[in-house]
Amino acid sequence: MIDPYYLQQLVIGLSLGMTYALMAIGFTLIFGVLNVVNFAHGEVYTIGAFASLVLITAVAPPFVAVVVFALAIGALAGFSLERIAFKPFRRFTDEASLKSRAMREATLLSSLAVSIIAREAIELLFGSQQQAVPFEYLINQPIHLGPVIIVTGDLIIFGISALMLIGLQFLLTRTHVGLSIRAVSNNPLGARYVGINVDRTIIMTFVIGGMMGAAAGILVGLYYGVIFPAMGFIPGVKAFVAMVMGGLSSIPGAVICAIILGLSESVAVTFISSGWADMVAYGFLIVTLIFFPQGLFGARRERV
Amino acid sequence: MSDLANPPTAAPPSTLRNLVLPILIAIVIFAVVPAVLTSFGRGYFWQIANIALIFVLLAASLHVVTGVAGLLHLGHAAFYGVGAYTAGLLASEQGMPFLVTIPAAAIVTAAIAFLVALPTMRLVSIYFAVATLAIGQMIYLVLLNWVSFTHGPNGVLIFSGLEVFGIDLSSPIATYFLVAVIVSASIVLIHRISHSYYGNALRSLREDDQCADAMGVRTARLKMEAFVISAAFAGIAGALWAHTTGYISPSDFDFAESILILAMVVVGGLGSLPGAVIGALLLILLPEVLRDVGDVRNIMVGIVMFLSILLLPKGLFGEVSALSMIRRQFGDAWRRDENGKGIGWR
Repeated sequence: MIDPYYLQQLVIGLSLGMTYALMAIGFTLIFGVLNVVNFAHGEVYTIGAFASLVLITAVAPPFVAVVVFALAIGALAGFSLERIAFKPFRRFTDEASLKSRAMREATLLSSLAVSIIAREAIELLFGSQQQAVPFEYLINQPIHLGPVIIVTGDLIIFGISALMLIGLQFLLTRTHVGLSIRAVSNNPLGARYVGINVDRTIIMTFVIGGMMGAAAGILVGLYYGVIFPAMGFIPGVKAFVAMVMGGLSSIPGAVICAIILGLSESVAVTFISSGWADMVAYGFLIVTLIFFPQGLFGARRERV
Repeated sequence: MSDLANPPTAAPPSTLRNLVLPILIAIVIFAVVPAVLTSFGRGYFWQIANIALIFVLLAASLHVVTGVAGLLHLGHAAFYGVGAYTAGLLASEQGMPFLVTIPAAAIVTAAIAFLVALPTMRLVSIYFAVATLAIGQMIYLVLLNWVSFTHGPNGVLIFSGLEVFGIDLSSPIATYFLVAVIVSASIVLIHRISHSYYGNALRSLREDDQCADAMGVRTARLKMEAFVISAAFAGIAGALWAHTTGYISPSDFDFAESILILAMVVVGGLGSLPGAVIGALLLILLPEVLRDVGDVRNIMVGIVMFLSILLLPKGLFGEVSALSMIRRQFGDAWRRDENGKGIGWR
């Protein structure tokens, strides 16, 4: 019989992993379409959390409205991010320069720069200390399931994330937008030849990624009850690790690896102090890069 | 490190013109800046000058691996931190003198860089960047959480004053001269590493490492060497930081610091050593100039970095113009045939 404490940790790990998965999907979609890593993704998470906190303190809306608002803000953040940090560097449209090394490095560094600007702007506006979430919005009412105690947040995070994952799957496989996203990530030039508006597809990818990231931000913010300007960095790195483990462009791979990461972290806290728990993710990353450079679920790639 | 990598001392066909700029720079570093700072007479300005020099060395060391060898390194601050902690712990707990801690910091940092480089050096492009990010974070977590050894978030206080050969150097001006001498010597070494036949080999890795491999360049070994050399100089910078500020804590060596150093190299121009120096001076001194406006240091770093990528993709002092400037002004390593025509780096 497993100790109920471990079951409890597993539930917490599962909901943690789901938030990493939401973040990792944003990374994976954008990497698939542009072949670049979006270092500003963690800031979308922070922006989602802060914008929702502002809404909560201003008008105290119902919970569902907060989530919808976070999604809208995330969409806006994704859109502006693409326009500011990525579009100016896409000067040429042929495939060679779209996926060229100079282009990759320029956008990587510009997204890093934009992420610094966004984080510091939030810090100037709100101060660097932690903001407390109003008590009635916290999603941590305990629920007793036999010997296991979980909180409502675990269920809500799991439910909303699962809903968004299903929605994403529907969008990618059953709609025109999803078809064009898949086409562009497969072959941008080919997509252009068959009449897909590549620029608009890239924007849509950022909008979808931004919605996922902002939703993860506000859910985690309400779960732990604290929101601060640097909150996006650690989940961003974890989601990034999940993406690399999953093989860079595989969405199911990224989701599975994100959940593995969340589970192993929450189990790790029971054995080692929480300060060292972040080591698990970096360890996973290094081991993956050394032994499975293609990622656990990735397609074959020429060189890594 | 400095005794290992002495530049070759073959007699160069040194013309008078080749000496003008180096002498001017030396005058600025060793006479003009101290004179100006003395006339201001505030200890704070000396501190800023030391920090600027330390970051010049950090940017120059990252220039070797990211600018010249083209490996995007996102964990440089961790090696800087290893150097600072080596020097800090040796000085505060073993009472080691300054002359021991500086080489010790370089050697320990180089050794750790060598160990982490063994498994990760065959990775390319973004995979390498991710691996260095993870390594940097792992070192940071060790500094933060290994409380019994590094004192964790409380940091390390270094009480022992600066002393070289029994001469007390803890006055601001003496500390500045000590830092300036070590940084200048390191920059000269980095200059000789990156503007030489060896530097050309590193540049070939950046342009096309498969092609370089096919031409007989030992790519894995060269990448490893560039990484270790760069880490050793970062270790020296860390030791200088520990001794000049007298206090180190893990938050001085986090990811934001790595990005700050990277921003210096990018703003100055990837692959350009003078660019890295200019970028470091700009990003350290600009926030100080804007101090009255408010706490805008970090946001300035972001804005300067973004604008320079957008408007000056080659950097403030791009590689091509930097190389031709170095050939003309510091060209003692530039080999000429008997007609005086340049043919390549020695």
